[in-house]
Amino acid sequence: MKKQHENYQELIWRLAKTDFKLRYQGSILGYFWALLKPMLTFTVLYFVFSSIFNPRNSDGVSTYSLELLVGILMYSFFAEGTGAGLSSLMSKAQLVTKIYVPRWTIILAATINSAMIYSMNLLIIVALFAIKGFLPEWQAVALFFLFSFFIYILIVSFSFIAAPLFVKFRDLSMIWEVLLMIIMYASPIIYPLVTLPAKYHQLILLNPVAFIVHFTKESLIHAHYADPSQYLIFIIMLIAFFVSSIFIYQKMIKRVAENM
Amino acid sequence: MKKPIAIKVNNLSKTFVIPHEKITSLRSAAITVFKKKGYEEFEALDDVSFEIKKGEFFGIIGRNGSGKSTLLKILAGIYTPDQGSVRVDGLISPFLELGIGFNPELSGRDNIYLNATVLGMSEKEVDEKFDEIVHFSELGRFIDQKLKNYSSGMRVRLAFSVSIHANREILLMDEVLAVGDNNFQSKCLEEFRKYKSMGRTVVLVTHDINVVRRYCDRAMLLRQGKIVSIGDVNKVTDQYVFDNMSDEEKRLLEEEKYRVKKEAEEKARREREDKIKLAKAKKEQLALEKKKIEEEKKAKAEKERNRFVEITKVEFLGKEGRDKKVFETGEKVSIKIKYKVIKPYKELNFGVGLHAVSGGQIFGYNTQMDDIEVQDNKTELTLAFDSLPLLEGEYFVNIACWGAVEQSHYDFKPNYATLKFFAKGRKGKYRGFVDIPHKWLDS
Repeated sequence: MKKQHENYQELIWRLAKTDFKLRYQGSILGYFWALLKPMLTFTVLYFVFSSIFNPRNSDGVSTYSLELLVGILMYSFFAEGTGAGLSSLMSKAQLVTKIYVPRWTIILAATINSAMIYSMNLLIIVALFAIKGFLPEWQAVALFFLFSFFIYILIVSFSFIAAPLFVKFRDLSMIWEVLLMIIMYASPIIYPLVTLPAKYHQLILLNPVAFIVHFTKESLIHAHYADPSQYLIFIIMLIAFFVSSIFIYQKMIKRVAENM
Repeated sequence: MKKPIAIKVNNLSKTFVIPHEKITSLRSAAITVFKKKGYEEFEALDDVSFEIKKGEFFGIIGRNGSGKSTLLKILAGIYTPDQGSVRVDGLISPFLELGIGFNPELSGRDNIYLNATVLGMSEKEVDEKFDEIVHFSELGRFIDQKLKNYSSGMRVRLAFSVSIHANREILLMDEVLAVGDNNFQSKCLEEFRKYKSMGRTVVLVTHDINVVRRYCDRAMLLRQGKIVSIGDVNKVTDQYVFDNMSDEEKRLLEEEKYRVKKEAEEKARREREDKIKLAKAKKEQLALEKKKIEEEKKAKAEKERNRFVEITKVEFLGKEGRDKKVFETGEKVSIKIKYKVIKPYKELNFGVGLHAVSGGQIFGYNTQMDDIEVQDNKTELTLAFDSLPLLEGEYFVNIACWGAVEQSHYDFKPNYATLKFFAKGRKGKYRGFVDIPHKWLDS
């Protein structure tokens, strides 16, 4: 069969753009909500927890606000991306049952949206770093972008499995909401990892979100880098997850239109 | 020269798994594990093979559940077949509905881009054709308004305009495409006919045989997932009409059985009620009530005594000589009236009236009109037609028996039965009630 869409990029981009436009249409502040939401979360958490946790860098400067912000933004990228990916096929049911477009384009378009919002949010990080007069090392910045990309891979892999599964099992969204909350508290976002007993560190870092958040903060704010072998293991696991998600997707997607 | 093939389908099969209760939550999935078989299998398509040539207008007909929509969805790529293969040569339109992806919150302009991209057009193509699309939809002034402010007619126009500019070589069309008012439907079909003249292939799924007869080059009849007939449009549609006729006969037979059963039940219930009433009256010593019931009975008996004739049964015999309710246009039909003479009477007059359900009498004949004397020592009378040229539709029959004057009838069965007529071939296209032999002459 010949290809129906010569240009998948245009299709994905069009779907993502439409979603983005629709999301903020009709609200007075419009696109500002994309920035405002994480900032408000950050402000609330900062006022509540800054008196409890007060990490400092080697120069003795308080770094809690920076750590909290980086953690929150990375986590909400993950949470929103997976949430959107999970419900992508269901919320675009018409595109699945009434027409043929490759279904992965629908899933990908939904996740791109959260990536766009995340990139806008990077402005806040830059702003806060500027206010604090804090300049991270360039390797750390590179690592930060790499880790952000890893989060995106996590989101896409999860969505490839969850979106077709959600068509069959509608309570998946409830389960995922609870799991997201657990993931948030099991990751060093509100608290620095060092506040936990050292014996739990390895266990906590098995959670990929915790791993990414922790090592991003370590490199960006404290200029501590993990052993390269640790990064390598993480990347291998990530690739394995991504590849298997594609296989699972291909198996499940065949009957997705019938199950809808 | 042989025409190249646009679509080739080989041994296609598709089975659906239908859970008894749709499993949409993990809990029900967990429960179902312990049950033996929580689902049924439904074979929507069973070993189907056919070819559609390029430039053909191909119709697929069949009743509900015959697998025609499933087939279309497989051709579009929405469903994956279990077995067999589909080979498509050329770009196929992947949509079964108009305006897919339309969002009421977006402007007409945005919706054109969105819908067109989903239909497989590139951004550049849409840019080039944008003015044409807007022009065709006649929505120029409104194009930057939100879709939610459009009337449904405007939406359909916009959707249709985008879809015909999507420029696919093979067009799939479910009958959902043809919804909307009659005007729009014919506009659609005419547009698709234009497609044909451009050498494009159109596959149309419908259960409207008239559309198939009018537009299609070839047709295919599906029944329970199998091809019953394929090829010449008239042959296929006739087969469809014939199948429907025999299905209809079966259905009417079932209905009749059910009606007889219901009537017997009703009679038993009434008798029971009468008995209870009588007992009640007795018990309360209301002689009046009792008398009334007895009077009623007496009056009934009196009426019975005054009746000369009772029509016991009417049979409608077709060309096979079998009692039935479904006939073909021009079939030999005999209406056999069975009656019982209660009291001998010399001047009996039997009549048969036929009316179209949609209104209007087709005929009304009685024996007096035709100077026929009915013998009161017989029990049967037949009104025979060598050929009853009624066109497709439903007709109901009144049967009556009078004495010397029509004012007082001895027995009258209004709406005794409803007959259905089906027409084959060209006669299926005729309008009206009766097929009158006719010819066209040129100067």
